[in-house]
Amino acid sequence: AIQVVDSKDTPYRSLDEARDVWQQHERTTGDLSNALCEQLRLILEPTQSTKLRGDFRSGKRLNMKRIIPYIASEFKKDKIWLRRTKPSKREYQIMISLDDSKSMSESKSVNLAFDTLTLVSKALERLEAGQVSIVRFGEQCEVVHPFQKPFTSEAGAHAFQWFGFAQTRTNMYSLVENSISLFDEARVDSAKGDMWQLEIIISDGVCEDHEKLRQLVRRAREQKIMMVFIIVDGLTKGGNSDTASSILDLKQVKYYPDEDGTQKMKMTKYLDTFPFEFYVIVRNIAELPAVLSLVLRQYFSEVADLA
Amino acid sequence: PGNAGSSDPGTGQIKITLKTRDESVSVPDVPLFVPLSLKRYGLSEVVNHLLDTEKPIPFDFLINGELLRVSLFDYITSKGLSSESTIELEYTRSILPPTFLASY
Ligand SMILES: [Mg+2]
Repeated sequence: AIQVVDSKDTPYRSLDEARDVWQQHERTTGDLSNALCEQLRLILEPTQSTKLRGDFRSGKRLNMKRIIPYIASEFKKDKIWLRRTKPSKREYQIMISLDDSKSMSESKSVNLAFDTLTLVSKALERLEAGQVSIVRFGEQCEVVHPFQKPFTSEAGAHAFQWFGFAQTRTNMYSLVENSISLFDEARVDSAKGDMWQLEIIISDGVCEDHEKLRQLVRRAREQKIMMVFIIVDGLTKGGNSDTASSILDLKQVKYYPDEDGTQKMKMTKYLDTFPFEFYVIVRNIAELPAVLSLVLRQYFSEVADLA
Repeated sequence: PGNAGSSDPGTGQIKITLKTRDESVSVPDVPLFVPLSLKRYGLSEVVNHLLDTEKPIPFDFLINGELLRVSLFDYITSKGLSSESTIELEYTRSILPPTFLASY
């Protein structure tokens, strides 16, 4: 199972320093966080338009599907009425996973990533939508804030201690695999009811094994775990040139065997094979509330259609 | 093997940029995500693909002025780097005889 970060390990920064970093990002993203909170409230709250649902002993309209069993059971199976029911309150478990790998610092994405983390977590805290956890990933992945603990600014500062952006690998596969088991455990622990599980991954988006990952992301979806990927695009300057490069420009070189077995090179746009279906690219933190709520709305409308 | 932080040499990938001083063979300035297993020959193939050449031109590759003689994986491992870095490669038309080129 996924590990909670070991409190005996040395964090990357002291709690005082982490508090400073947290507060600084909290200040710069405060208004945006409010905006996201309001947008999410509209998306996440159960709709007020109620539907007619079965099966009741009295009600507004007959449920025609129940009539024949009702007669056949000699009028014992008498829950034949539809009623307008109040939608049940949904419960959420939202995991925010932040890429702690070295490419984040090399691509100058750290500031944007911290902004994104404070913005999203503060919006969720204010929304009181449910439980929030924070996970870091790179070579390994670890929980830096568990679902069971309430999320506060102080908890955010504690979480910030564990991000140094120095891990020398980005094992996205292990992140998704561990997230699935973490959500599994959390689902069991929590009360019954309408539980929605959402993971928000914040990363520069550079990872290997797109094909294998895509299958795993599909498995998560089958288990009703929603995954939304925020690509923080720090726009690094490539090489000696003055032109900034974006993940939109990144090309991928791969080799595939052709009919007679020889390896043939194929060059594609990196994002063409990106394994996460729901992703947004953020360059400027001010864009985040709007694009994130847009992609979440799209996601929830698809999920609602399935339910 | 090597640096524990590095990806698998078989399946791992790394970001590179390609530059040249030879304007007749310059390619667009975009980053590429390539297999760590690539050596001079594979990198040459990448440049030729970008140039869309009819007859492949052999290239040599330099990192920080040093000729690349091994795979990208072996290079980053020997330098204590990881696949999280972006490697800046400079390429030049190869002036070495073809028989010698085949050896690395
Ligand atoms: Mg990385």
